Amino acid sequence: MLFGRVLPQSHIDELRAAVGADGLITGESQLQTYECDGLTNFRVMPGAVVLPRNTGEVQAVVRICARHKIPFVSRGAGTGLSGGALPAAGGVVISLSRMNHILEVDIANRYVVVEPGVINSHVTQRVAPQGYFYAPDPSSQSVCTIGGNVAENSGGAHCLKYGFTVTHTLGLEVVLPSGELVQLGSATLDAPGYDLTGVFVGSEGTLGVATKVTLRIVKRPEVVQTLLAAFDSPQAAGQTVSDIIAAGMLPSALEIMDALAIEAAEAAVHAHYPVCGGLLLVELDGPSSEVEVLMGQALEICRNNGAREIRVAQSDAERALVWKGRKAAFAAMGRISPNYIVQDGVIPRTALPSVLSEIDRMSSAVNLRVANVFHAGDGNLHPLVLYDRAIEGQEEIALDLSYRILHLCVDSGGSITGEHGVGKEKQQALGYMFSEPDLQTMQLVRCAFDPQNISNPDKVFPRPRLCGDVPGPYKPHPLETAGIAEIF
Amino acid sequence: MSTTTTMTQQECLAHLASIAGQEHTQLCGKTVAVAAADAQQIAQILRFADANGIAVTPVGSCTKLGWGNPVEAGIRLDLKRMNTLREHPWQDMTCTVEAGCNWAEMQKELAQNRQTVALDPLWPKLATVGGVVAANDGGSLRLKYGGLRDLIIGMTIVLADGTVAKTGGKVVKNVAGYDLHKLMTGSFGTLGVITEVNFRLHPVEVHARTWTATATDAARFAEPLRGLLDSQMTPSAVQVRVREQECALDVRIAALPECMDDHAGRLQKLFGQIELSEASENVWQARQELFATEGAVVLKVSLLPSDVCPVTTELQQWAAREGAEISIVAQAPGLMAVALKSSPDAAIALIKHLRGRLHGCGGSVVAQQFPEALRDGLDVWGCDSNALPLMREIKRRFDPNRILNPGRFVGNI
Repeated sequence: MLFGRVLPQSHIDELRAAVGADGLITGESQLQTYECDGLTNFRVMPGAVVLPRNTGEVQAVVRICARHKIPFVSRGAGTGLSGGALPAAGGVVISLSRMNHILEVDIANRYVVVEPGVINSHVTQRVAPQGYFYAPDPSSQSVCTIGGNVAENSGGAHCLKYGFTVTHTLGLEVVLPSGELVQLGSATLDAPGYDLTGVFVGSEGTLGVATKVTLRIVKRPEVVQTLLAAFDSPQAAGQTVSDIIAAGMLPSALEIMDALAIEAAEAAVHAHYPVCGGLLLVELDGPSSEVEVLMGQALEICRNNGAREIRVAQSDAERALVWKGRKAAFAAMGRISPNYIVQDGVIPRTALPSVLSEIDRMSSAVNLRVANVFHAGDGNLHPLVLYDRAIEGQEEIALDLSYRILHLCVDSGGSITGEHGVGKEKQQALGYMFSEPDLQTMQLVRCAFDPQNISNPDKVFPRPRLCGDVPGPYKPHPLETAGIAEIF
Repeated sequence: MSTTTTMTQQECLAHLASIAGQEHTQLCGKTVAVAAADAQQIAQILRFADANGIAVTPVGSCTKLGWGNPVEAGIRLDLKRMNTLREHPWQDMTCTVEAGCNWAEMQKELAQNRQTVALDPLWPKLATVGGVVAANDGGSLRLKYGGLRDLIIGMTIVLADGTVAKTGGKVVKNVAGYDLHKLMTGSFGTLGVITEVNFRLHPVEVHARTWTATATDAARFAEPLRGLLDSQMTPSAVQVRVREQECALDVRIAALPECMDDHAGRLQKLFGQIELSEASENVWQARQELFATEGAVVLKVSLLPSDVCPVTTELQQWAAREGAEISIVAQAPGLMAVALKSSPDAAIALIKHLRGRLHGCGGSVVAQQFPEALRDGLDVWGCDSNALPLMREIKRRFDPNRILNPGRFVGNI
C-alpha cells in the first residue's frame, strides 16, 4: 500500500466532520488499543480510529479514505488470530462496535438482520426464546462480532454439521472501497447475478465494509448428547473419528485433544477430563429417537477402537463443563508454557494419523512441545507450539516449526487455514498453497472491488500488490523510488 | 460467425483442429464445435478466441443452453471428453470430477461407497456437472443440504486469457484466499470455463419415505407447512405442487428405519385433520415435468418461505381469472418453479406483477424457458440490483474482450 505514515490534520478534520468528535480517536494512548488484534506479535499504530454509528457514517468515512487514498481496516472485537484487523501505519481503523443492533428478527422465515458489531452469541440469545440458534460458534463467540465472523468466514466446533458463516449468510449491505453502497443477496435465495455474498464472506476485509448482515437461524435440535472417550493416543481417537464418519453418521461436533491440551485445560477450568493420550468428544443432536440409536453406535465404535473410559454428559451443566474445557484450550496454554503459537491447518481426515506422527517428529527434532486440539470431524488442526521467548532464538524456531506444520498440511492435501484466516500472519503460506495464476485470478476480484487497494491492504496475499502489478520478483513502485510514498 | 478479425470459419476450424484434433472439431452452421481433452487444450482454445475476438459458449449436454439471453457464438466449446470422476477419497467424503462428467454417472460411481453429491438437478441423466454448476441448478434437497454454494469446496477454471487457476481445495473446511468457486457457480460461463469441481459428499439416504397431503387450495397448507418448518423434524425435502386446481404437499424424510414410524406419527400430528398418505418417490420429479409443458413459460421464482402458500394461491387465482394453465412446484426454502400457458401479453404482465410483488423482500423472477415468440418483450433476468456495476466490472476484469458467453447473463453481461 502506498501512503505516507502520518495522517494529515486536514484528513483528520474531515473524519471528525463525518463521525463527530466523540466518534474519532487520535490520541496516542487510545490508539494503542487498536494497534493489534488477537495476534499480538504484529503491532502497527493507526493514524486514526473512527467509531461510526450507522451506514451513512461508514460511507462518509470510506469516501474520505477513497478520496485521499488512505488505507483503512474495519474492526469488530479484535479477536482475530491472523492479524486481519492489524491497521496500516497511519491508516484509519473503522471500529464497528457502536453498530451493534439487531435490526430485524423474522422467525417465520428463519432469518435475522444485524449490524456488524453485534456479538455472535447475542444472536442466539435473541432467538433462543423461540427455540432457534445461530449456528457458527467460534470459541470466542461470547465476544467476537458478526462483522468479524463475516470477514473471516468463521467456523467453530459445530460447523461439521451446520456449516460456516458463509452457509448462514443470506445477504449483506456493503460499503465498497469507493464509498458506494451495494446490497448483495437478500433474505431470499438465488438472487440473479454473481454470488457476491459468497465471495465477500471470508474476504478478510479486503473488499469493503459490511454494514448489515442477513443471517439464517436454525431450529434448536430436540436432543443433544455429548460423550467423552479416552484413548491412549490422538491417533486412536482419530481412527475412531474416521469410523464414525464411515458409518454414515454426521455428528454436530467431533473434537480431539491430546495429553498436553488436556493438562492445560484441566489446569485452567477443571473440566474433570480423564487423563489420557487422546480425548475424543462426540456430540450428536437431532430428534430424540435417532440420537438414542446413533449414540449407541458411536459408543460401540469407541469401544472397538480401544477407548478405556467413556462418559456421557448427564446434564446440560456437565455438557457445558465439557465444552468450557475445550473452548478454553488455547488460552489455557499459558498455564503450561510462557509463550505459544496457535496454528490453524486443515488436512483430509484420513491423513490425521500420519500428520500427527510427523508433527511429533518435527517438534522432537527442535526440542519443542506441540499441544494438539482438533476439530477432528473436518480435519481442522490447531497445533499449539509451546516455547519460551526468554530463551534466545526459541521464538524463531517455534515460528519456523509452526509454518512447517502448515506446509505439511498443504502437502497432505489440505489448507493453511480452516477458520482463522490468512490475514497478516499467513500471507507467505498462501503462496505455498496457491500458484501465481491462482493468486492473480483472486486479484482480479480484489481489483474489481477495490482498484485503489485501500481496503485492508497488504493482507491475505503473499506480498504487497497494487492492482495492475505483474507477477515476478518484487520491484519498487515509482512513487516509492521517488520517496513520495512507501510500501507497508 | 462473430469475430473482430478477418479470420474465416475454415481458418478457425483448422486452428482448433490443430489443438484438439480433427476428429474433435467440426462445423455446425455458423459455429465451430470443438471438444477439448483437458484444461490445457481449453486454455489454448480460449487464448486463440481471445486474440481473435471470437465468442465462445462452453457446453456440456446443452440441456440448459436456452436459459438466459441468446449468444451467437463462433466457437462451441464442448466439455464432453472431460468426463471422469478423477478422485473419490470416500473416507474423506470428497470427490473431484471433470466438468463434462454426466451427473447421473457421477452419482452412480459415488454410490458404490454409499455417498452422493446431495443435490437433485434437472435432467440428471443428461446434464453434466459443469452445466449444473454454471447454471446453479438444484431441487428439493436444498432444504436439508443447501445449494451448490454449500457443496462445492474447490474448482479448476480456465480464464479467457488462457490462465488455468485453482480455487478452494479438497477439504471441506478451508478459508484460504477468495472463494472464486462461489463466484463461478451460477455465472453461466461468463467468467471462465469450469473444468473440474471438488464436492463435499454426504451419505446416500438409504431409508427414506415420502408422504403427500392433497387439497384444492394451497392456503390450506400454510399452517402445517409453517408448523413443519418450525418443528424439530429434519425432512430432506418439502414441496407444494399445483396442477390446475389440484394442490399437494409432499414431505420426504430420511431416517434410521427403526425411527421412521416415530417420524410418521409426528408428521401426522402436525398436519392435524389434513390426511397424509404415503407417496411414490416420483413426486420429486414434478419440477422437471414442468419443463416438458409444451409452449409454456417456465419461471424460477425466489421468495420468502412464508410467501410460498399465499403466492401459490394468488397464482392459482390469477390463472383462473385469465383462463391460463398453470403448474407450480414450490420448494419450502422459497424457490418456486412455475409453468405458465397463456397469451404472451398476459405472461409478461404476470412476470412484471410478480417482480413488483416480491421486490420488497429481495425476491426475484427469472424466465428459464419460454417460447421464442416471447423473447422480444421479455426481460429474462429481471435484475435491478445496485451491484450490477460491480458485476460488470468483475466481468471486465475476467474477460476484457467479452468472448465468454457475451450478453447471456444479467444486465447483458
